[in-house]
Amino acid sequence: MIVREARADLWIGGGLLALCGFAGWRATYINQGFNPGVAGPSFVPWLVTVLIALLAVLLIIRALRAEHDPASDVSLPGKSVLLSMAAFTLVMIGYAAAFMPVGCLPSTMVAFILGLLLLGERNWLVVILFPVGMTLAIYFGFTELLSVWLP
Amino acid sequence: MDSIAFLTPLLDLQVLLTIAAGTLGGLVIGALPGLTATMGVALLIPLTFGMTPVMGLNMLIGIYIGGIYGGCVSSILLRTPGTPASAATVLDGYPMAQKGEAGKALGMATIASTVGGLIAAIVLATLAPQLAGIALEFGAPEYFALALFGLTIIASLSGDLLKGAISGLLGILISTVGADPISGVMRYTFGIQGFASGFSFTPALIGLFALSEVFTQMERIAAKEEPIKSVSGRWPSRGELKASRGALVRGSIIGTLIGIVPGTGSGTASWISYNETRRASKTPEKFGTGYAPGIAATESANNAVCASALIPLLALGIPGDVVTAVLMGGLLIQGLAPGPMLFQTNPDVVVGMFGGTFIATIFMFIFGMALIPLFSRILMIPRRLLAMSIVVFCFIGSFSINLNPVDLYTMVGFGVLGWGMQKFGFSQAALCIALILGPLLESNLRRGLLQNDDNVLAFISTPITLLFLALTVLSAGWPFLSRAIQRRRAAQNI
Repeated sequence: MIVREARADLWIGGGLLALCGFAGWRATYINQGFNPGVAGPSFVPWLVTVLIALLAVLLIIRALRAEHDPASDVSLPGKSVLLSMAAFTLVMIGYAAAFMPVGCLPSTMVAFILGLLLLGERNWLVVILFPVGMTLAIYFGFTELLSVWLP
Repeated sequence: MDSIAFLTPLLDLQVLLTIAAGTLGGLVIGALPGLTATMGVALLIPLTFGMTPVMGLNMLIGIYIGGIYGGCVSSILLRTPGTPASAATVLDGYPMAQKGEAGKALGMATIASTVGGLIAAIVLATLAPQLAGIALEFGAPEYFALALFGLTIIASLSGDLLKGAISGLLGILISTVGADPISGVMRYTFGIQGFASGFSFTPALIGLFALSEVFTQMERIAAKEEPIKSVSGRWPSRGELKASRGALVRGSIIGTLIGIVPGTGSGTASWISYNETRRASKTPEKFGTGYAPGIAATESANNAVCASALIPLLALGIPGDVVTAVLMGGLLIQGLAPGPMLFQTNPDVVVGMFGGTFIATIFMFIFGMALIPLFSRILMIPRRLLAMSIVVFCFIGSFSINLNPVDLYTMVGFGVLGWGMQKFGFSQAALCIALILGPLLESNLRRGLLQNDDNVLAFISTPITLLFLALTVLSAGWPFLSRAIQRRRAAQNI
């Protein structure tokens, strides 16, 4: 899937302006404490937010003025790959959520197996044995050799 | 004569074996994403309690030196910086590995780390008290000017200056999340306790570089790209070594000087060294494409910091970076107070540490070179298995730093952000630099303003700040200037 860089920049510029609006709004909630001068806790967030907004406007203007150059087109993966990447991200979020309550060993093994399946591995011996072996090796390496506590 | 006598404990077999074990252990820890030299030193400090000061402290120095070097292994092979210090090594190390030259890249990194380490060790042994005096002059305006100078690296690292600047500013904005460094007021935490200390740097970095690479691997797997079959030898060619001479010397000097300035650290040194080497190069366009001098610049600088960061610790009692701050605990466990008096009361320990730094660097070279063939074989593993193994290392490594589950979400979030930035031409490196330097810049800018009643002239009132600000203008303007020069040359050739 090919996307024109200028079009992508327009969307990104818009997104950045929205982010700046949000960051600016939230900066008004930052407590200034007993700071007498300009350099309070919200000084740098404000400064940076304004600068990003200015550069985002520049990005949009540049995108509007740009002539199409095929060499700068952005090549995105196809729909099926994007879907599997989204599913992969969800597996990782689930892994992060399960890591503490379920424990490192079971959550890692399940995430490993699901990840391998999403990456297209279909050899069942590999899908089962490699995650089990690798997870145990990493777990014992961290806990026994490096004395790192894992849930 | 006395100094030579103080080196004799280092010839003891038990001491030598302890330094070797520390260096090898540090190397393995540094090579594992998420495990840092800081963590290795912190974990093993209790072990040194029963050792003699020279043995215990040199084991910790071995872990430090091995750990900083070890970070290059995963940077080069997996695009996963093992430590923040080796993040800049990704830029040329990983492309070299992709070209089938992983062995050479690791060899260059080992040689550069050794050169940087040995040069800084010589400086440590000869100029410690004198050089530390310069850093003692630094106040908030000087640190601010130094951080600003560091941020100008973004200009030369970004193909697209506008997107590079946006990436850098985004990094600074992200670095403001959490408790304000001066007043402790919460910013952008949305009431979530896990965000109180901000985004942890190493999980963010692991996500930005390693997890985003897993997404790229997914694209490659879908496109059925062939995995790398060759890893080349372990020695760089004579031509590559010749081309890297300047980078080695420059990196070693920059690393040594930056290490002396407390609070800056290996990460800053390697980025500045990379930038300066690229700027001085006759072929700057080769940097970032798998060019050996790029690795020489970063690795010589970050290992030079290891020895030179000991200078302010030993001479002034001020740690040069995070690891030396932890190492300070090792000195205190032995009943030793770091500072100028240490040279008077315990010269044997000071000289023993100088000697130990040399020995650990040599062990690092031997272990590094010996293990390259073993490390390089990682690339022969099928992409699917490697990608998932990286994911598991990323998760367990990120969690093990603070034992905080919020770090796992941070890592995933930065992973997705990193992939998107890479796809749409934004600079992950610029974001990474800003995450490192943002807090240093902010706290010193505000501290400087507070101390001087909001008078900005305080930032241009000392020779040191003026020097750094002049370098900042030069560094930020250099891409424009060099383009103008190239255009003029091209016009003259026509």
